[in-house]
Amino acid sequence: MALKALDIYKLLPKKNCKECGDPTCLTFAMKLAQGKSDPDACPYLDEAAKVVLGASTRPPIQKVIVGMGTRAFTVGEEFVFYRHEKTFYHQPGIFYLVSDNESDEKISDVARMIREDYFTRIGMDLRLNGVAIISDSGSPVKFSEAVKIASLKGEIPLVLIASDPTIMEAGLGVCGNFAPLIGHVTEDNIESFCNFGEKYGASLLLKAESPDLLTILVDKCLAKGLSNLLLDLTGPMGVFVQDSTVIRQLALSRKVPQFGYPVFLDVSQSGFSGLITGIVKFASVIITPPLSKPDMIAALVMRQNIYTDPQKPIQITPGLYQIGTPGRSDPVFVTVNFSLTYFTLQGYLEATRRSCWLLIVDTEGMSVLTAVAAGKLNETIIKDAINQFKLADEVDHGTIIIPGYASPLSGRIEEVTGWKVMVGPRDAAEIAAYIEEELK
Amino acid sequence: MVNINDAISTGNKKIEDETRRIALLSIYPGTAYYLPITYAISGLQVKDAASALNSYEKTGKSPLIGSEILVASRRSEEDPPYTGFIEDSVIRKLGYSLVDGSILGLALIVGKPDKSDHASAICRELQEKLMLTFLAGEVIESLVKDGIKVGLELRLVPLGRSSLMAVHFADILARVAMMFGGVTPGDAQRLVAYASERAKAFVIAFPGMSDQEIAFINALRILGIPVLHMGGYEGDAFIKTDSDAIVRTGMEMRGIKVQVTAIPIPMACSPAFEGKAIRKEEMYIEFGGTRSPAFELLTKSDPKDVENGRVKVIGPEVDMIPQGSAAPLGIIIEVAGTLMKKEYEPVLERRIHNFINYGEGSWHSAQRDLIWVRISKEAVSDGLKIEHLGKLLISKFSMDFPALIDAIQVTLITDPEKIMPVLERARSIYQERDERIAGMKDDDVDLYYSCTLCQTFAPNHVCVITPEHTALCGALTWLDGKTAYEMSPSGANQPIGRGATINANTGEFEGVNRFVRQASHGEIERCALYSIIDAPMTCCGCFEAVAMILPEANGIMIVNREYKGDTPSGMTFSTLAGTIGGGAQTPGFIGISKGYILSERFIQAEGGISRVVWMPSILKEEFGSALIERIEKAGLSGLYEKIADEKITTDIGELLVYLESVNHPALSMTSLI
Amino acid sequence: MDLTYSPGWTTSVREVVIGATSSEGGSRRISYKIGGENDLPFIGNSGHKPLIAFEICDDPTIWPEVVRSACRDLINNPADWAHHADQELNADLIRLNLTSTKKRNFSNYKGIGNTIKQVLASTSLPLIIEGSNDQDIDSEVFQQCGEAGQNERLVLGTAEAARYRSVAAAAIAYGHIIIAQSPIDVNLAKQLNILLREAGLPDDRIIIDPYTGALGYGFEYTYSTMERIRFSALKGDLDLAMPMISSPADSLTVKEVREATFTDETAIAWEVATSVAAALAGAVILVVRHPGTVPILKDAIDQLKHGRGGI
Repeated sequence: MALKALDIYKLLPKKNCKECGDPTCLTFAMKLAQGKSDPDACPYLDEAAKVVLGASTRPPIQKVIVGMGTRAFTVGEEFVFYRHEKTFYHQPGIFYLVSDNESDEKISDVARMIREDYFTRIGMDLRLNGVAIISDSGSPVKFSEAVKIASLKGEIPLVLIASDPTIMEAGLGVCGNFAPLIGHVTEDNIESFCNFGEKYGASLLLKAESPDLLTILVDKCLAKGLSNLLLDLTGPMGVFVQDSTVIRQLALSRKVPQFGYPVFLDVSQSGFSGLITGIVKFASVIITPPLSKPDMIAALVMRQNIYTDPQKPIQITPGLYQIGTPGRSDPVFVTVNFSLTYFTLQGYLEATRRSCWLLIVDTEGMSVLTAVAAGKLNETIIKDAINQFKLADEVDHGTIIIPGYASPLSGRIEEVTGWKVMVGPRDAAEIAAYIEEELK
Repeated sequence: MVNINDAISTGNKKIEDETRRIALLSIYPGTAYYLPITYAISGLQVKDAASALNSYEKTGKSPLIGSEILVASRRSEEDPPYTGFIEDSVIRKLGYSLVDGSILGLALIVGKPDKSDHASAICRELQEKLMLTFLAGEVIESLVKDGIKVGLELRLVPLGRSSLMAVHFADILARVAMMFGGVTPGDAQRLVAYASERAKAFVIAFPGMSDQEIAFINALRILGIPVLHMGGYEGDAFIKTDSDAIVRTGMEMRGIKVQVTAIPIPMACSPAFEGKAIRKEEMYIEFGGTRSPAFELLTKSDPKDVENGRVKVIGPEVDMIPQGSAAPLGIIIEVAGTLMKKEYEPVLERRIHNFINYGEGSWHSAQRDLIWVRISKEAVSDGLKIEHLGKLLISKFSMDFPALIDAIQVTLITDPEKIMPVLERARSIYQERDERIAGMKDDDVDLYYSCTLCQTFAPNHVCVITPEHTALCGALTWLDGKTAYEMSPSGANQPIGRGATINANTGEFEGVNRFVRQASHGEIERCALYSIIDAPMTCCGCFEAVAMILPEANGIMIVNREYKGDTPSGMTFSTLAGTIGGGAQTPGFIGISKGYILSERFIQAEGGISRVVWMPSILKEEFGSALIERIEKAGLSGLYEKIADEKITTDIGELLVYLESVNHPALSMTSLI
Repeated sequence: MDLTYSPGWTTSVREVVIGATSSEGGSRRISYKIGGENDLPFIGNSGHKPLIAFEICDDPTIWPEVVRSACRDLINNPADWAHHADQELNADLIRLNLTSTKKRNFSNYKGIGNTIKQVLASTSLPLIIEGSNDQDIDSEVFQQCGEAGQNERLVLGTAEAARYRSVAAAAIAYGHIIIAQSPIDVNLAKQLNILLREAGLPDDRIIIDPYTGALGYGFEYTYSTMERIRFSALKGDLDLAMPMISSPADSLTVKEVREATFTDETAIAWEVATSVAAALAGAVILVVRHPGTVPILKDAIDQLKHGRGGI
């Protein structure tokens, strides 16, 4: 059971020495309570306290970093079962899977896709994360060659799958320095793979017949001081959902600490639906055969959506946006920079096929109602936006249309800006009717 | 003049005699409910004369059932426009309209009107008010002669030539109850309940009915259906009113309210105009501000004293007031309603501001006796008068509070002499209200109120609002929560029964614990209302300030949202807000409204206000004398100066030194942790 | 080692029956039970398999372009379209969206009554009908819907807090089920259910629609709201213990779909992703519009329903 800040504080030296990097012991205690710091940071903590704190303050799911350099990514460090309880912190890495039997061109192509392709939306670049190479050939040489082509000299994270230690060693020979994820670690090869883990700093992918047998593998790895572990829950979609659910619950409650590791899923059998299921149900590394562009985009957007922090709505950059090709006599709609508001309004405006301007002001991502209530959408902000984005240079009519719920501001906006203010509908869905009736 | 009681006893006897003599009876086609009234009341399925007689005896010779039997046995084809028995499939349509609100209620008109009885006017009024009217007897002929069109689609349903055909009105009511009301055949009690609550009906009885017919109509009263008349009947069973009040009286008796949809004034009204100001150059007249006396007051009144929809202007109208001048304005709104309460007065009164601002040419600012109102030149040239403001208020209040308001009237005083005594009375009412709330203590009430408005952001958070502990957003008082609950019982504010006291000092109560446990889905076990250390209340994210312990100083610091700088805790407001929000219960930290700091219950468990060692200077200034008064009242004279702020220090070490130098009481109190 | 976890559920989601076979008074060839879960989606054996509803409309002018070109002539005849969805696509049920009612000054009430009767004749699957959403015409529209589908235990949509009386009336008067929609807010969903109950609707005739935002355009808000509704229901909140429906109206008109190089594949990917995620959050009726979505989604749902020790 996680300790609360005050309980943690009672275990600390209370010197306020600042050596942990925090201004007071209470602040440090609060960070520990959230799993955002390490008890080791306090030089005056006694061993007994460290053990108690360590067990209850480290994140219930181990943090693991796969790959190196700019494309390295972090998984784990999760604290909740439902995203609405707080948020999911680290989105899953999606890897394209290639077999070492495939041609050099094919493997090279896939690696290039991972390195270069991206899809931009809402000011964010959405990318896939790495390449997974599986040994089908049975040949260490073939495997290592395939790995070499795929690794692009460590530019992109790798997952290597070959249960035979000899084959794996060959692969690690060409990419071991790049912190790959290697698997599958089983009862039969655990000794060798633990050695690989130690030698190369690779993270280990554990596989067993059933979840309870995984705990034995975890204990063995931990005994050797290896804690960068992932649990392979690959199976039929329904089984995966059940296993992933139980494992997440037992990890969060700290009832079975051996389950406190990120989850791995291979969706070669279950396909696109399996990929979506994995993204939504706690998988941290997912490998899939290369996807069609439509499937890839949909999966990346789902990942972006589910892993958005519910308490930090995505913001649009404030500015003067165009719908269609607006000119000097076309209407100007003003609204907030909450992304959902923007997209909803944009959608309805585009559907009217009437060109117009959209002036987005900075309300720190708040919706119209919230921004009005909090005073973030006010006459000053609107005046500043009109000036900053030089609205007067774009239109002649000197009129702006504000959202219906901002109507109490209309008089003040007119006074302060000198622009005429019309009050639009409260619901974006009514915009077409509004345009027809009011803006003939 | 017919004596009702005599007619009833004679009529009942006649019904009995004739019922006993029936030989043949066949069931109605097009219904699954046999003889519907009989079926609904007794559960018996009448198929022939024998079973009919049987059910009549079994139900103690109910005149409703007897009449139904008689009408069924006498059946002959009704010629148009008379409908006779109406089939189930048509009834289903009627039931639909009753549930979806396009029909507000049911009326039954029987008898034979004299020419002067305004039957046509009554029918027109019923149609306008969305009532479904059934007609039985010679009233139908009379209407048709008068040029009134009748028929199902016109909501004037001509059942039959004789008033006894009113039986079909009752069998329709019975079927609607069984079809949509979940009334099981035979459950007479539920039938009565349904008829009273959902199928709101009343009868208008003209003279010219036989004793049997009177006996049947009287029997309808068992179903809670009142019978009204305009003359010709002697006795208390039927209620006498005037012809121009009869429809209104019937509707009022059954609680049927007509929805107001339009505002009958020559000025556009819409929330879109809320922010529109009226500048000096644009105004025709202004009221209040600092130029003339003005006030607004809404009070609950006795229904006898309120004439619904009446607007009176005492003093000059716009045409008598020179353009550009200031005039006095007293806005007095009197509201009557069975569900209206005195506590709601300020809540409704606050709406005057919004409603007047909805007018395109009217503007309103402030409240109580500080109001400032303007109407524009444009509006006046379009025909706007001061009385129209009254009409606007009546329409908007009726639209927005249909459940609370049965009747509403407005008086507008523009006479400079007549306004003064009324203004004085208003001021004493404002004072009364303030005293009532200020004096309220947690121990005075059994019910606290919850608020889950911010659960969108903090799914497990619930505010517990008590008279001495406002919601942490600062927006809701206990009275607000109570009013909100009573006005919309399924809304975000729910009552919390306090239950047995577990610890009076920390403010832990069994009922509160139970509620919080359930509302947080088991996440929070206990909630101590007056403590910051022991199971404090959770917070969402919209608190006005944070209070947290500074263990080194053995005290509490407070930081408000507006203060952006550093604090002795090492954390800014926004860092703190990010950590303690989201519905968590964090001992040592609470999110609060600024006003709560002045409450006697503020951290009562830990010793109250004497624990406060630091707060930003802007907060200290904002409180000003109110904080000093609170400190004096607690007998802690001098504490105000001992509370540090950022001008003194934002470092915990320096703060300790300062607190020692001024001998702050917190240092010598019991250890916080 | 004890690997069990008991989340402390106390209540099941209510079961609702949709459609009526001849023995139940209707003319559908099958009726479905939905709801009944006593755990999270796809955990354990309780509940029933989520159903896939294919959506058609009676006026295709505002229907997504990508669906119009995929369905071609079918879009001009709702009865044929419904028949196709039933026999060729093997959807579990059909949703008929009366888009004609969205036109300004709509008054062809008899017309929609006829359309409904024709669709009921052309498919013997249970039917969902999405009526008007305009208070001025609601009363007549839902009267038609209720009457035309009498005895068939239709699912009628959509009731909202500000305009639910007519839909409720049609459900009460003619024995249908209601879709109760709220704007992605758990408390508002709860309040609407209470209002409907007060209007006389039994609790086992309500399906909750928390309003499904399109993928990329607010979907995660819906996802979390659905999780919260299911959680509250299982923890004992009877006002939220109703089955849920996912019916994203804007999926196929979002920018990514409209501007895609491969519009059909993108449309299908968008719908499959949204529906699978919604099912994982607890939706038991998944509404889709692109014909290509149906087989893929059916397969996905089958796979999800076959867990360890499952069916």
